Amino acid sequence: MINDYFLLAFKSIRHRKLRSWLTILGIVIGVAAIVALISLSLGLQATIEEQFEAFGADRLLIAARGFQGPGSQSEGITDDDISILERMNEFKTISYGSARPGEAEFKNEVKFPSIFGGKNGKELLEDTTDIAEGRYIDTGDDNDVLIGSRIAEGLFENEIRIRNKIKIAEKEFRVVGVLEPVGNQQDDNTIYITLDAYREIFGETNEVDFISAQVKPGVDVLSLQEKVKREFKRQRGDKNIEVVTPTQILEQIGSILGVVQAVLVGIAAISLVVGGIGITNSMYTTVLERTKEIGIMKSIGARNFDVLAIFLIESGLMGLVGGFFGVLLGTGISLAIGKFSTEAGFKLLVAVNPGLMLFGLLFAFIVGMISGSLPARQASKLKPVDALRHE
Amino acid sequence: MNKIKNKKIIELKEVWKVYKMDEVDFPALRGMNLEVNQGEFLAVIGPSGSGKSTALNAIGALDVPSKGIIYLDEKDISKLPESELAQIRGRKIGFVFQSFHLIPSLSTLENVMLPMIFQGISREDRINRAKELLNAVGLSDKINNLPSQLSGGQRQRVAIARALSNNPEVILADEPTGNLDSKTGAEILSLLKKLNEEGKTLIVVTHDERIAREADRIAYLEDGKVVKVEKK
Repeated sequence: MINDYFLLAFKSIRHRKLRSWLTILGIVIGVAAIVALISLSLGLQATIEEQFEAFGADRLLIAARGFQGPGSQSEGITDDDISILERMNEFKTISYGSARPGEAEFKNEVKFPSIFGGKNGKELLEDTTDIAEGRYIDTGDDNDVLIGSRIAEGLFENEIRIRNKIKIAEKEFRVVGVLEPVGNQQDDNTIYITLDAYREIFGETNEVDFISAQVKPGVDVLSLQEKVKREFKRQRGDKNIEVVTPTQILEQIGSILGVVQAVLVGIAAISLVVGGIGITNSMYTTVLERTKEIGIMKSIGARNFDVLAIFLIESGLMGLVGGFFGVLLGTGISLAIGKFSTEAGFKLLVAVNPGLMLFGLLFAFIVGMISGSLPARQASKLKPVDALRHE
Repeated sequence: MNKIKNKKIIELKEVWKVYKMDEVDFPALRGMNLEVNQGEFLAVIGPSGSGKSTALNAIGALDVPSKGIIYLDEKDISKLPESELAQIRGRKIGFVFQSFHLIPSLSTLENVMLPMIFQGISREDRINRAKELLNAVGLSDKINNLPSQLSGGQRQRVAIARALSNNPEVILADEPTGNLDSKTGAEILSLLKKLNEEGKTLIVVTHDERIAREADRIAYLEDGKVVKVEKK
């Protein structure tokens, strides 16, 4: 019986093609917006997680409070703090460094990319970023630079290859390596030098922006985190230093992303509501138009329930068809944005998500049914004689 | 041959139907009495506004009377809830309307199958029965056509096939030839008569004297009452 109603509903939708499609279009747009936005924010989350995974969870990240990322002014961490860590024996490698925008000159062209000076930076970079050409720089390579992919190609008019010379703050360096693209503008636009060279050219003495310390295998990161905090507090006498794990940062980003996602999906949901109102409107018109048909159906034995079911299925079906195309469109849009964004230097891992697609379909069907429920109720309650007499 | 059985299939007792029109009450039926035997062909005749269609709707369980009792096959249907009325319409009554009342989005075959859907008959049985009926009304070559692709006479044949789909005991026809030319009208009438001869009780509302002359009895309506019954 139910599949007969599906068939009846389908025939009726097909019978008034143009209006059906226009109504369905409203749902297509709403579902596409929701699917695309969820898919993109999932992609963003996946991308961030991937970058952190490469980084490894067995680390402590230490920065002065208020530190917002490479390039911002460091206040507080000095070589003395590093010594505190070095005296502890739970760490495998302690990498640290500073970054700031600096003047870089290649073939008489001057740009201001981000300059990163790192100590034990080799170990850190080896974990996160593959080398495309050449080698990493190591402690003592004070005249060598390693460059991000966009420094090599894109920043300057001429492509920079290994063994090329490049001037940073008037000091000449030799390019010894080029990194693979990381996928974010910031990192790909960075020139890596040693901390000693950095301090020399920028005239800094003993400050660093951040420390990334890798923990020895078997050491509990969270209890070490507490221990380091205590140690800093005892020896420095202030709480001006933040000690976090990559997992904690990830969680923080995750919760921010969650809020952003909720807001975006909320906005997209508005368009779906508008689409739903479109269905309600169209179904009311249909009920009016087909009042006589309802009368006919009742005269040949349709119960109120049958009429209700036929109209509900009809509106649900419009939702479903809209959902189908909306899911396709939304997935297409998010894949296209992901591809475009990755090509433009901001890596975004957008994937086809069958669960999300199924959710979109079901959701659209339910929105259709809900939108159609009032008109369907009205249709089912019509008195047969009155409905038949309707012109 | 005695096609008319000695059994009352329809009985109206003091039936009133009052329509509320704005502030004024309009009584369409005013204490109507009527009896129809099983297998009978009854013509109902009367001027417009005499209550012909109202009476037919009440007999066909499309509407409930304001007062009075209607027996259909010995069951009082005058106070039943809508869901039971729908069942009665679906099983015991076959309607044929003046303007055919086919569903425009459905094919001929689907239109004939529709009443059977509401009775929960299996798809296979529905198709077979519908084809059989369309064959009987001479439309076996039009089963996939939409109503808009048929002539008036053909549409009324589809409507008759549909009325027969659940094998009802009573066929109610409201001006069945009113929208047809006289030749086609005569064909439809002979089709209805054939059904009556095969045992269906037939009530036809008309103001066409020629139809009335074919009936076993003619009930004359005036002001919502049967004023005269003429037996052939």
